[in-house]
Amino acid sequence: MAAFADLNVPQGPDKKCVQSLLEAAARLGYSTVALNHVIDFKEKKQEIVKPVSPSELFPSLPVVQGTSKRIKVLNRLTLVVSDPSHCNLLRSTSTNIRLYDIIAVFPKTEKLFHIACTTLDVDLVCINVTEKLPFYFRRPPVNVAIDRGIYFELLYTPAIKDSTMRRYTISNAISLMQICKGKNIVMSSAAERPLELRGPYDVANLGLLFGMSESDAKAAVSTNCRATLLHGETRKSACGVVYTVKKPRKVEEEEMTLPACKKAKTQG
Amino acid sequence: MVRFKNRYVLCEVVSEDPRCRQCIEDRTVGLAVRDAIARAHGDYGLACCSVSFTVKYLNAYTGTVLLRCRKDFYRLLCSALPFVRQLESRNQRYPCFFNTLHVGGTIRTCQKFLIQYNRRQLLMLLQNCTNEEERRSIRQSLLSCSLTEEQPQSGDEEDGDDTETD
Repeated sequence: MAAFADLNVPQGPDKKCVQSLLEAAARLGYSTVALNHVIDFKEKKQEIVKPVSPSELFPSLPVVQGTSKRIKVLNRLTLVVSDPSHCNLLRSTSTNIRLYDIIAVFPKTEKLFHIACTTLDVDLVCINVTEKLPFYFRRPPVNVAIDRGIYFELLYTPAIKDSTMRRYTISNAISLMQICKGKNIVMSSAAERPLELRGPYDVANLGLLFGMSESDAKAAVSTNCRATLLHGETRKSACGVVYTVKKPRKVEEEEMTLPACKKAKTQG
Repeated sequence: MVRFKNRYVLCEVVSEDPRCRQCIEDRTVGLAVRDAIARAHGDYGLACCSVSFTVKYLNAYTGTVLLRCRKDFYRLLCSALPFVRQLESRNQRYPCFFNTLHVGGTIRTCQKFLIQYNRRQLLMLLQNCTNEEERRSIRQSLLSCSLTEEQPQSGDEEDGDDTETD
C-alpha cells in the first residue's frame, strides 16, 4: 500500500512543538509530512521567506513506525487569498515561491475559487471547514481542477476540537463530495499539538463520515497525497513535456511530438 | 449457520501523560467511547453500537484495547473513534487519543495482529536500548512471542513502555 502522508502540519515558532509533532506522526505511521507556512494577505505586507531546509531545523528525524526509513519532511506554502490581486504573487517569477515543495491556495470567494481551479498554478486548493461556505461549488471549475491534477484539501482537526466546527466540516465536505464524487480529495490535519493528530486508518474512517467510499477515503490519505507531491515536483522542474508516439501504420513519419495537455504553460 | 457476527476493533490509547496509563480500565474506556459515539452519531448511533458493545481486552501497560460490536454497526464505531479526546476517571481527566490498529472478525485474528505489532514495537525499543541487560530481556521476550492457548496475552513487554518517544 502507498505510504501515508500528512500534508499540513503548521509551522509554529516553537521548534520543540514541531519536533514532538513529527515524532507523533512518525509513531502513527506517516512517512511524509509537510510543514505549512501560511501567508495571509489581509494583514500587512508579509514577506515570503525562503523555506528553511528541514535538515537544518531537525538534526535527527524520527523513524517511521512499521518501516525502517526516516520520516520525510517537506515545505509547503499556503496563500490565503481574498482578492484577485493577491494571486499576482503566484505569477511572479521571482523568488522564494519556487523553493517550496507544495503550494496551496485558500480561496475565500467564488471567483477566486474559479480562478484557482482553472488558471492558477498550485497543487492544492484548501476548502474552508471552519465556517459556512459563502459560495456553492459548481461543477465546471471542479471538473477542470480534476483534469489538471489539482487536489482539494480537507482539514479534520477542527472537527475533533469543536462540535460546531464538526457540523461545518461535515456539511462542507459533503457538498464538495456531491460535486466531485470523491475524486481528488486529500485529508490532512492542521494539528498544533501531538494530541490532535490521528492515525491514517482513523483519518480514512473520518473520510467515511464525509461521504466518501472506503477506497476513496483510503486513497485520500495515501495515493492522493503522493500524487500531490509529484504534482509539486513537476511544477518545480518541468516547463513542458515532449511526448513521442510511434505510429504503427505510416512509414514516413516515425516520430511525432505532442505537447502534454497538462504542462504546456511556459513559466515566464 | 445463524449466529451473531461481530467485529473486534483493536486500538491503542496514546497519551502524553504517563499517569493516564493508570486510569485505563474497561469502564472508563467504555464510557469514553460511548460518549464519542453519542456526540458524533447521536442517540441512534449510541443505541445501535451498544447492542453488543464491550471492552474485551485491556492492557494498561501498552494501552491496548480490544472493543467488540455488531458487524452491522462497526462503521459507526470506527468513524467515532477519532473523536475520543480524553479519559475520565475519579474526577481526573487525561487528554489522549485512540489509534486504530486493526479490525477483525474474531478475537484470534486480532490477537495474531497484536503479536506481530508488539514484536515490531519490541524491535524498535531494542534500537533505543542503552544497557546490555535491557537488550537481553528484550531479545528474550522477542523469542517468546507466540500464540498461547490460555490467555489473549501476547509476549512480554518491558516496563519502560513508550521510551521511544522520550
